Amino acid sequence: MAAITPAEVRALASLVDELDYYQLLEVSRDAPASAVKRAYYTVTRRLHPDANRDLPAADRASLENVARRISEAYQVLRDGRRRNAYDAQLAAGAGSRIRLAEAEAQAGREASAHHMGRTPNGRRYFNLARGDLDRGDLASAQRNLRTALTFEPDNTFLRKKLDEVTASLRGSSSNRAPYSR
Amino acid sequence: MAEIAVGIDLGTSNSCVAVARGGRVEVLANSYGEHVTASVVHFAKDGAVLVGNAARAALIHDPHHTVASSKRLIGRYSFSEEVKKARAVYSYEIVDGPGHSVRVKIRDELFSLPEIAAMVLKEMKLVAEARVGKSVKQAVITVPAYFNDNQRQATKDAGRIAGLEVLRLLNEPTAAALAYGFGRGLTQRVAVYDLGGGTFDISILEIGQDVFEVLATCGDTYLGGDDFDDRVIDLLADEFVAKHGVNVRKDPYALEKLKFAAENAKRALSVEDQAEIRIPEIARSPSGEPLTLEHTLTAKEFGALVGDLVQRTFKVCDEALQQAGLVPRDLEGVILVGGPTRLPMIREAVTHYFGQTPKTDVDPDQVVAMGAAIHASTLVEGTAQDAFLLDVTPLSLRIGVAGGLAEPVIERNTPVPIEQTRTFTTYQDFQESVKIQVFQGESRKAAENELLGQFEFSGFKKLARGQVKIDVTFSINSDGLVNVTASDRDTGRKASTAITLSSGLSSQELEAIVAENRTKRVTNDAPPASDASALEVLDDSEFASLIEEDLEQLGGLGVAPEPSNALFDRKPRDLSSDEKDDSEV
Repeated sequence: MAAITPAEVRALASLVDELDYYQLLEVSRDAPASAVKRAYYTVTRRLHPDANRDLPAADRASLENVARRISEAYQVLRDGRRRNAYDAQLAAGAGSRIRLAEAEAQAGREASAHHMGRTPNGRRYFNLARGDLDRGDLASAQRNLRTALTFEPDNTFLRKKLDEVTASLRGSSSNRAPYSR
Repeated sequence: MAEIAVGIDLGTSNSCVAVARGGRVEVLANSYGEHVTASVVHFAKDGAVLVGNAARAALIHDPHHTVASSKRLIGRYSFSEEVKKARAVYSYEIVDGPGHSVRVKIRDELFSLPEIAAMVLKEMKLVAEARVGKSVKQAVITVPAYFNDNQRQATKDAGRIAGLEVLRLLNEPTAAALAYGFGRGLTQRVAVYDLGGGTFDISILEIGQDVFEVLATCGDTYLGGDDFDDRVIDLLADEFVAKHGVNVRKDPYALEKLKFAAENAKRALSVEDQAEIRIPEIARSPSGEPLTLEHTLTAKEFGALVGDLVQRTFKVCDEALQQAGLVPRDLEGVILVGGPTRLPMIREAVTHYFGQTPKTDVDPDQVVAMGAAIHASTLVEGTAQDAFLLDVTPLSLRIGVAGGLAEPVIERNTPVPIEQTRTFTTYQDFQESVKIQVFQGESRKAAENELLGQFEFSGFKKLARGQVKIDVTFSINSDGLVNVTASDRDTGRKASTAITLSSGLSSQELEAIVAENRTKRVTNDAPPASDASALEVLDDSEFASLIEEDLEQLGGLGVAPEPSNALFDRKPRDLSSDEKDDSEV
C-alpha cells in the first residue's frame, strides 16, 4: 500500500473533526464487527505514523492526531454496547464523537439506580457477569455474580440473578465442564 | 541502510540484544559467547564498573557494591512496597533522592536507577557493536506490559543516558508475539505468558493480515522468578536456624551465597527432579565450628513452596481473558516467555489452565529481544508489508477529584495512540485554581493508584461551584507515554504537561548527565536539586499528606464531597466530577 502524501495528511487532518467513526474507518453503518476490525487494520496501517516515517515532522504530528481518532473510532465500534450508544447519539444529531469515560460513568449511575450494584466492585462484577451472559458463558457469569455478592451480600437483585444463572447452569451442566476452574 | 537499530530486552535478571538484518533475526552473543548477559552492575574499588556475569560473580564477595535486580526499583517511589522490600533483601545501600525518588549509594557516590539501567544498556550496546562491527545508536527497548508511565519514562531516560535513541518502548509480550508470528502469515489468537525475574505479564493478541493486535494485557509487577528464589531462601534459612541455631540471613555474604544456591537449584529443577544444595562453611557455630548447609530440594517440595505464586499468575490470566472477552479455549496458541517458564511445574500449570500445550519452539530467554529487533528494523526501514503492531494501554488513567477519589478518563486496554477528554468543574464557589492530579491504576481511591504528576490550572473566571467547565484531555502516544492538557471552555485558556515526575530524574539532571556523557552521578555532598518547574513535580509535604491520608472512600458518583476534605487543599481548589455535564458529549 502506497504511503500517504503530505498533501493528503493535511486534507485529512483538517477534515478529521467532521468525520464520524464510520467515515473514519471507511465502513458502512451496518458493517458487522468483523468488517470493522478489517477496516481498522487497513486504515490504521495506511495512516499510522509508524508507517509514514518519511513525512515531515509537522505532518507526522498531524497524522498522530488522526491515528488517535482512528483508535477512538475502533474502540467504540468494536463494542456492541458502545456502538449502540454511539448510533443513538448520531441519530439524535448530538455530535460525531462520544466521550467514553463520561458515557460509562453515566451507565454506572444508571446501573446503580436500578440496584444493579451499589458499590464500585459490585457494579464492576455485575457488569462482567452481564458481559458473560451476552456471550453465553454461564459459569463465568456465576463466578462474577458470586464475587459481586461478596461486596454487597444483601443485594436481592444480584441474588436473584445468581439464582437464575445457577438454575440454567444445572440445566446444561455437561457442556461447561472443561472451563470450570 | 547505514544505521543499525537493535532490539534490547532489558530484563530484571538478564538482558539480551538482537538485530534484524536482511529478513533474519540474530541474537548477539557477548564476548563470553553467551546470548544473555546478567543485568548486574559491580563497582570495583579502583573505580571500574563491571556489567554482566563478572559482576554477578562479584555479588558473592562484594555484595555491598554490586547492584542486581535494579529493574524492580526503576521508576518507583522510595516509599513503595517494592523499595521497602528491596532494602531488606539487597546488600547494596538504597537511599532517598529528591521528590521521593530512589538512589543507590555506592561508597560515597549516588546513582539514580536510570543511570544503573544505562550501564546495563551500554554493555548491551557494546555487545552489539562488537558483533555488527559498527556503532549502534538506535534501539527498541522492551518493558513489561504492566509498567506504568513512571517506569516507562525512567527506562527511556536510561536509554538516553546510555547514548541510544530509543525508537520505541515495546511491551515485552507484544515483542514475543511478534517474534513468534513474524512472516508466518498466521491468523491466530494467542496468549503470551511472560514470567520474568521480577514481573509477570499476560497479553492476549490477535494476529491477522500481518497485524498484531493486542486485545488485552494484564500483569503484576511484583511477581517473578526472584520471588520463587526468596521462598527457597526462606526455607533453607529457617531450616538452618532450626538445626544449628544460626541465622545466616544476618550475614550479607552468607545471604548472597544462599541466593546463588537458591537460583541454581531452581534452574536445576527445570531439567531434573531434584536439586542438591550444598554450601560448605556458610557460617560458624557458637563454638567456632564451620557449618555446612545441605538440602535436597525436590520438584514436589519446590512446587509446594511456590504454588500460590503460580496460582496468582492465573488470576491475572483470568482478568486478561475477561477483558478480551474470551475464554481459554478460544486461543490457538500459548507462547512462554521468561526463564521461570522452563520449570516443568509452570509448563504443566499453563497446559492445564489453557487446555493446550504451550509453544516451545521459541527460546523464552531470547524471544523478546528478537521481537524488539524486528520492530526496530521496521521502524528504521519501514516497508508496507512489514508486521504492524497495535498495542493497548495496560492501566487506566485517572484524574484526582474531591473526596480522595480518582475518576477514569482512559480505561485500561484502550488501543493506543489515543486521546480522551472528560469535563470537570470546580467544587467550591469562586475557586481560583484547580490542581490537576494524574493517576494510573484501577482503584477509585486516589491513594491506591500510582501518582504520575500534577499541575495547577488557573485563569478561568471566578464563578459559583459547578459553573466553570474544564476539559481535561489525556493522550497516550505509541510508546505508552502520557500527556495531559487542561482547558477552560469559557476562555479557551490552556495548560499542558508531559508527565515528567516519573523517572526520578528531573529534566535538568537528565540533560546534565547526557551532556557530560557520564554514567555516574555526583557525590553525596552535592545532592541534585529538585526540578524548579514545580508544575510537574510534587512538593514533598503535599506528597506526604497524599500518601498518609487514609481517606474514606465515598459512595457512588453522586456523593458530594465535603469541602473540608484535606486531601489536596488548604485553600479551596478542587475538581469534582461534573455530574450534569455528561449530556454535553
